Amino acid sequence: MNPWHEDYKRRYAQLKENGKSFFPHTVFKDVCVALLVLTVLFALAYYRPAELEPLADPTDTHYNPRPEWYFLFLFQALKFFPGNLEAVAAILLPGLGVLLLMGVPFLDRGPKRHPFDRPLWTGLGLAGIAGFAALTWAGVRSPLTNPTEEADPQVAAGRRLYDQMSCAYCHKIGGKGGAVGPALDKVAGDETEEWLTRHFKDPQSVTPGSAMPKMNLLDDEVKILVAYMKSMHAEEPFTKAAPKIFADNCAACHKLGKEGGEAGPDLSFIGTARDKAFIKKYVEDPSTSKPDSAMPAFKGQLTDVQIEDVARYLSSQGR
Amino acid sequence: MKDCALAAYSWVCERTGLDQVWTALMERHIPEAKGWVGLLYTLGSATMMIFTVQAVTGFLLATNYVPSPDHAYDSVRYIDAAVLFGRVVRGLHHWGASFMVVFAVLHMLRVYFMGSYKYPREATWLAGVGLLLLVLGFSFTGYLLPWDQKAYWATVVGTTIAGQTPVVGAWIANILRGTDGMGAPTLSRFYALHVLALPALTAGLIGVHLFLVVWHGISEPPKRSPGKVP
Repeated sequence: MNPWHEDYKRRYAQLKENGKSFFPHTVFKDVCVALLVLTVLFALAYYRPAELEPLADPTDTHYNPRPEWYFLFLFQALKFFPGNLEAVAAILLPGLGVLLLMGVPFLDRGPKRHPFDRPLWTGLGLAGIAGFAALTWAGVRSPLTNPTEEADPQVAAGRRLYDQMSCAYCHKIGGKGGAVGPALDKVAGDETEEWLTRHFKDPQSVTPGSAMPKMNLLDDEVKILVAYMKSMHAEEPFTKAAPKIFADNCAACHKLGKEGGEAGPDLSFIGTARDKAFIKKYVEDPSTSKPDSAMPAFKGQLTDVQIEDVARYLSSQGR
Repeated sequence: MKDCALAAYSWVCERTGLDQVWTALMERHIPEAKGWVGLLYTLGSATMMIFTVQAVTGFLLATNYVPSPDHAYDSVRYIDAAVLFGRVVRGLHHWGASFMVVFAVLHMLRVYFMGSYKYPREATWLAGVGLLLLVLGFSFTGYLLPWDQKAYWATVVGTTIAGQTPVVGAWIANILRGTDGMGAPTLSRFYALHVLALPALTAGLIGVHLFLVVWHGISEPPKRSPGKVP
């Protein structure tokens, strides 16, 4: 038995004796704070409702998952550990952290309680807070590449129906699917809604001799399939000048196939990961998408037409 | 009339000990904590209040949510679009999750910097660390339930990390996912953990935590030790 334990108990009993009753004094303060917190919570829930991204798609390997903000520091910390070490660090770091947290009362056992009387533990706590804040800030700053806006529900429903009916048995979208019918991402976006509607109700009526069977779809089903088809734009062609623009302006740092420099990322398959709009915005000014990018902004260096051209060219790479 | 009410009151007290419970819990004395230091002592009760909000909104969400990959996403859309106050209730549960973490951690920092975990309150601290881990468990399992892109892929990453634990990793990942890759068994397991196992454990541990707080009395605000002050 530590000698100060008895002493503390006696002193605490005295302090408690002199204190005020839990009800109503403490309860009053608790209720005030609770109401304040509740007000903020309601305001957030009302003005900033929870977001919902598109339906989970297990085949979408380009999705870049990010954790909830309070796990972001861990996510960022793991970037310091290369390759195999990352797996160990992902378990070891949080494990040790929890163990240390549980051990605090058994490591710091003296009678001193004031933060200024325990410089080691106070310093450790402040360092922990600073580390958490710095890592979280670094995580927030690293670029977010996923759209947070909701996809059109009609389009999402159409995509699901497309999967359910196994349309991909005959048709390609994004390079995946059969070759019996046309690749839909190349052609369907150019057709009018009226044409598509008639097509889905009876393919032969607009394309005599079509091998596509009549599907006996409901009107609602036709509607969502049309919405899905219209959401795909035919690939926009680039001009013959695009490869030359790339060679003159980009190839010093970027590889395309076997040609090009190594200062920046290899762009041979960029079209599988980024669409034209993203690339165009990136080329115009990289810092809006990736604040610490070393790449210069090309708006002003190249004309808008040239940037559009090179963006179309790059978005076709690897597809 | 007054006699009747008094008789009813004493009947209840004799059989439940209500008056003594009231005295022990509500009329116990609390060491004085003045000004903003006193406000720091409200963080624990604020955390518990948010937990109550999560329990109520969670119940309301569960009345419309379907834990299957075929319907989960649509049922969440339905809650947002068609259920009376559905969007607000989901918003409350969403923000409440962040608030739980924030207030639990702030409460812990108060205890940490004041050294309130010291004798005789070590067990209270351990129960508190357990509660913090349960909150993180809620957040991990709840994240998957909307079955949108973010939910799915964050859980793929999370369970993959769990799977990298030395020796028992593959076993843990298997228990969490219930299938190769992720699918219907994963979602029902996460749902069962989120709405059955974790709430029960949390309620129990809150009980222990609160009992210990009352048993030992809340710690007094620390004073500088006499030797150091000139």
